[in-house]
Amino acid sequence: MAKEVDRRTLLKGFTLSALGLGSVVAFGDLLEFLTLPNGQKLALAKAVIFADKSLCSGCRICEMVCANFNSGGRNTSSLARISIEKEYLKGDYQPKTCRQCVDPPCLKACPVTALQVDRQTGTYARVIDERVCIGCQKCVKACHQYFRPSRSMFDPQRKRAIKCHLCFGEPQCVKLCPLGVLRLERSEKGFLVGYPVITED
Amino acid sequence: MAPQGGWVGKILRVDLTTRKISEASTFDYVPKFLGGRGLGAKICWDEVPPEVGALDPENRIVFATGPLQGTLAPTSGRFMVLGKAPQTGPVESFTRSGVGGHFAPELKWAGYDAVIIQGKASKPVYLWITDQKAEILDATRLWGLDTYQTQQMIWKLHGPKTRVMVIGKAGENRSRIACILTDSGDASGQGGFGGVMGSKNLKAIAVRGTGSVTVARPKDLMEIIHSIQRLFSRKPFRGNPYQPEEKNFKYNIWGGGYGRGSLSLLPGELLDLCNDPSSGYSQNPDGCFACPVSCRSHVKGPDIINGVAFCAQSYMYLESMVHQPEKGYSKITWQAAKLADLLGINAYELMAIIPWLSDCYREKLITEEGTGLPLKEIGSWKFISTLLQKMANREGFGDLLAEGGQRAAAKLGGKAEKLSQMYYPRTGKFAGYREHWVYLGGFPTGYAVPALALMWVLDNRDAMVSHSFISMLWGAAFTVGQNALTAVPEKIIPVLKPVMKAVYGSEKAAEFVQPDGKGLNWKWAAPIVKRYHEHSLLKDSYIVCDILFPYLFNANSSDHVGDTSLESRLYSAVTGEEMNEEESYRKGEMLSALERAIGVRDGRTRQDDILHGIYFEKEDAGGRKYLREDLERSKSEYYKLMGWDVKSGTPTRSTLERLGLKDVAEGLGRKP
Repeated sequence: MAKEVDRRTLLKGFTLSALGLGSVVAFGDLLEFLTLPNGQKLALAKAVIFADKSLCSGCRICEMVCANFNSGGRNTSSLARISIEKEYLKGDYQPKTCRQCVDPPCLKACPVTALQVDRQTGTYARVIDERVCIGCQKCVKACHQYFRPSRSMFDPQRKRAIKCHLCFGEPQCVKLCPLGVLRLERSEKGFLVGYPVITED
Repeated sequence: MAPQGGWVGKILRVDLTTRKISEASTFDYVPKFLGGRGLGAKICWDEVPPEVGALDPENRIVFATGPLQGTLAPTSGRFMVLGKAPQTGPVESFTRSGVGGHFAPELKWAGYDAVIIQGKASKPVYLWITDQKAEILDATRLWGLDTYQTQQMIWKLHGPKTRVMVIGKAGENRSRIACILTDSGDASGQGGFGGVMGSKNLKAIAVRGTGSVTVARPKDLMEIIHSIQRLFSRKPFRGNPYQPEEKNFKYNIWGGGYGRGSLSLLPGELLDLCNDPSSGYSQNPDGCFACPVSCRSHVKGPDIINGVAFCAQSYMYLESMVHQPEKGYSKITWQAAKLADLLGINAYELMAIIPWLSDCYREKLITEEGTGLPLKEIGSWKFISTLLQKMANREGFGDLLAEGGQRAAAKLGGKAEKLSQMYYPRTGKFAGYREHWVYLGGFPTGYAVPALALMWVLDNRDAMVSHSFISMLWGAAFTVGQNALTAVPEKIIPVLKPVMKAVYGSEKAAEFVQPDGKGLNWKWAAPIVKRYHEHSLLKDSYIVCDILFPYLFNANSSDHVGDTSLESRLYSAVTGEEMNEEESYRKGEMLSALERAIGVRDGRTRQDDILHGIYFEKEDAGGRKYLREDLERSKSEYYKLMGWDVKSGTPTRSTLERLGLKDVAEGLGRKP
């Protein structure tokens, strides 16, 4: 049983990115959830956005869709929870999506447990509860240790941290990406992706 | 009351002479003038009197965004560069030039809707704009660098997320056909505004913003985007990679014959290399900001200049395909386009200059010794690199050519001037722009279409017909199995009927040739052109892409009727101001009158709205001709429809006042 899951998640890890594959670890029975030091159990994300950068044209619709949908109509790339790192002269486009990490550094860094696992929508995404967040930006710094740009970011106007929450199970960037770069993968078993499987990006 | 969304509210004014930077409110101009081209036209009306020359310090160069820039609205990466254009000639006058890419949203996010630049710096400078502030910085070390190097230097200083509008050598040397380039190939070419920046000693404008643009009705916007995407681009995987791509879907750009990644349309050496994975070359669709189509190709290779090239850029050096027919679209063709980009020369103008030089050489009017150009080898790399370097540096014969093809031809005079006329349709005092579909299928081998001729004589640059009206004609041609160059009027007219009915109000509008096929039908030219000008002004004022909007022709439906309400719906959703189609056309009419008034103040009259004789002498492929008397009658009709004086082509006082342009009416009235 454990073996079968292993292979599938490994394959999914491959499609995710070429980076950090060396550190894919077999977690065996821990696949379903990890236990935090305080005894709290953390379920794996059951949905993750994957990007195929070879299809990307760098139009940045995903950024705008995200900001427009999630930031109350404030359209800007700096409030987008997905970002395109674009090398304009070299023509290299890298969509940077939140990995919904196995062992999320952002979640562990939060001093007020504003970062939670979204059980309600069934995606088990790592989300920020705006009502609880105090805007200390510790999650931003924690993510930044491994992932650049940091997938959790700070909204200076509302003084709250923001991050990808998979749009309540229906990510708008996936829906509106005109080139089909982005896709939402779902798995009942959960995904073994992000930190610590991938430790830099 | 200020609109709820779309605008960030401030216009930046930079006086390079005094180094004074100030701000004005955008709401002095909008929503009345809509933004973009309308905003720029109003600024130029207020601030650039006829006696100011295009390369004088007192000329303004306006970088204007519209309400949609910096938002999710499709193709909102575009913006307008406006001012008195050095390319227009022999009398310099107001015109506009659009650019795509990613500069406009960054400017909005930095907190400015537009930048007005005036004066002249004492030494080379560049402008650095970031989050509500602007600085004039020294650019002595950037002066002389090519457009790519300058951008790389600025990225080193200000970070790679900075977007830069930059001029090359041609602009520095005040060429009248210099472009302003951003990123790897998006450029504001027509008008020669690169030379205006050069005349102000302004090398570049660098922008980085982290602010935001508020959309009044974000939910509505999402819905419109969703429907627009379904119209314009192939349905994506929708989260399911195993679902096959939709077959037979046509991208709705240029009538449905083209799609993603323009290089795939250009068979030859370069495309073969890109298709061969082991070659090290590759091409990828590259999108302007928020574009659902991504029509351009980003081409990479070990020994070529990387970047995007589109349309005029990629077609610029067709002679190379004649020179080496076995190679087709070769590396040389590509490198020529990119060299023009590096030096900052307007590729579209080169498409007239190179064939004209070739004609002159064939007729023995110019020699290799006299020009210093290897004219025997037109089509080779040696020729194009020598030509472009000479033009950019204004060496020898290149100095003459840097003045633009029409001015150069006028200087040479005689037969050389005569030969240039087929490339420059409009004559009179406000000409200077290369042929851009005066015929369906191209002059002189295609077919005459009355509306195209009328659009051409009335515009203040080349008529941008290829980007809205003609794509409808092409779309009809594709539908009946022809293409842009082989379209035959009799075949496409039946397809056009429902489309024309939807856009211009009658099926009869489609019948641009007489039923017996012997003559042209000019009856609908004036109403079509009036609506076309309104569309064109609206699209440039909200600022959406020329190629996608107005959406006249749907390549995928059975009746091919497009949807002209998209732009006003986008405007309403973004700004929260209700705007219906009818009302928007009134705005378009008002802006048309405003632009005309600027032209009139610079001396434009009815006599300047005319084509060269050759366009009346030649018969088209169907044996029909543009007749002078028909064109004159249509002009009268057009002026009458617009409420302009038929004798002079000047907007009348009562019309201007009806349109709410009282100050313009008074300004025109003061004219001696």
